[in-house]
Amino acid sequence: MHDPLMTICDLHVAYGKKPILRGATFDVLPGECLTLLGANGSGKSTSLNAICGFVRPASGSISMDGAELAGLAPHEIFQHGVAQVSQKRDLFPDLTVADNLRLGAMRRGGKAAAQTLEQIYARFPRLAERRNQATRTLSGGEQQMVAIGRALMSGPRLLLLDEPSGGLSPEFCEEIAQLMDGLKSDGVTMLMVEQNLKLAFRAADRFIVLRDGLVVDGGDVKAMEGNHDAIIKNIYL
Amino acid sequence: MMPTQSQLRLRTVLFWMVPLALLAVPLLVNSYVQFIVNSVLIYALVTLGFNFVIGNLGQLAFANTAFFGIGAYASAIATTSLGLPWLATIPLAGVAGAIGGFLASGAALRGIRFYYLAIITLAFGELMRWLYVHAKSVTGGTDGLSLPRETVMGYSLTDDRVKFYVFLVVTVLLFKATLNLLRSHVGRSIMAVRENEVATASLGIPTSRVIVTGFIWSGFVVGCAGSLFALHTSYVFPESFGMLHLIISFAMVLVGGLGSVLGAVLGAAALTVLPEYLRSFPGMEELFFGLIVIAVLLVLPQGLASLLRRVSPIFVERFYRE
Repeated sequence: MHDPLMTICDLHVAYGKKPILRGATFDVLPGECLTLLGANGSGKSTSLNAICGFVRPASGSISMDGAELAGLAPHEIFQHGVAQVSQKRDLFPDLTVADNLRLGAMRRGGKAAAQTLEQIYARFPRLAERRNQATRTLSGGEQQMVAIGRALMSGPRLLLLDEPSGGLSPEFCEEIAQLMDGLKSDGVTMLMVEQNLKLAFRAADRFIVLRDGLVVDGGDVKAMEGNHDAIIKNIYL
Repeated sequence: MMPTQSQLRLRTVLFWMVPLALLAVPLLVNSYVQFIVNSVLIYALVTLGFNFVIGNLGQLAFANTAFFGIGAYASAIATTSLGLPWLATIPLAGVAGAIGGFLASGAALRGIRFYYLAIITLAFGELMRWLYVHAKSVTGGTDGLSLPRETVMGYSLTDDRVKFYVFLVVTVLLFKATLNLLRSHVGRSIMAVRENEVATASLGIPTSRVIVTGFIWSGFVVGCAGSLFALHTSYVFPESFGMLHLIISFAMVLVGGLGSVLGAVLGAAALTVLPEYLRSFPGMEELFFGLIVIAVLLVLPQGLASLLRRVSPIFVERFYRE
């Protein structure tokens, strides 16, 4: 068993007086794809936002290789190798695909960035074809590729994906799943929030279920093969 | 449509050719027109600095007049009280304006943005005006400060033609520096903050610091413009830095084109020359001025710079260096 890449311990997050996470505790292992499951309002996206620093935890710990990330500013957390692809994708619509991707490597620059850009184009040939197109002219799936590509430009040690299949056709969901397979085989660690259970079980190695801000279930996806109904019951009932 | 490589090269040539051609202006115009041209150069810098914050950085902020006043007073105080030659006070005024920019935007470090930042910067401008009036021993109070007469290499700095050459050099240098800044990774961060601050933060960019940097540069440019203004009018007093000046410089930004460096020149030129022309219609000046500004913004919501962009892609401003 590997040492965890990230350990989240007794994490409490509240929006105003409303508590969202009430002591969530889980690990992310190196090289795995872990998916967070749960009903709306269970604290899945809040967990990602707290890890990225967009939401300040009230208490608890988020540690990565011994460094405490809780309470740091988003740009400081990014420097520890955590990159997020948000649910809204947060692209720069008037900039070209190439410019959006380069922005992902703003903190690196130079030859390394140019090399990574070529790797991204190799991974997403469709983006290479559209490199000089403004991102607002791309389809939803292509925009998702740009968002993931931009996050990869920073060479993250942990990639956070907030509903990567959101608003995409089943064909594109399959493409995203294949992309995630490729990332896993390249050793990229991923923490994903996904409502599309088919994609979640197709792409993830492990899952955890959040309910009312607490981890109530979890396990190995392969071990649960064919028994997804039990997980669904645990999420929604 | 994006400019081609040859069009980009032509643009670079034009950037230097236009100021070179302008060197002939003092030989061709009378002293009244020369005074107006000098005003255009100063307001081009004021608009450039203001546009940097509201157009490029995307923050609603109204400390521009404060930076202008700080620069003008810094120059006036340095020449009258410290006895420095006026030329040496230009960078000093710029630094004073930059410090003003830092102070006005300090709230951004605590997450204050947009409307709230606008009110803070507006209050900062009024606070500075209060200071000009009440710090009488330094600023001369409501009487203001008169700049001493000076010469540079035997040429009198009271001559508008001599002033023009100095103003032109300062203006070209600050425009070039601003263009270079916008094309650097700092400039890209600035525009990324404007487009989407959350996304920018998620790319590891310290957005609050970027905002403060934008204000500091704006303060520097407008502070230098204040120094030029002090020499231009030879007299600095608080009323020059009030709300009217703020509104006119805001109109210059919008008429020229939000976020456009070229627009800063066009907006400043249009709204400096227009009131002079409208003097031929006594009593109707304000009415015509207002109607013309409204008409321009209705027909060209992206400002005069957008008109040139339609003519040729050479005028498309894309602040990204391949």
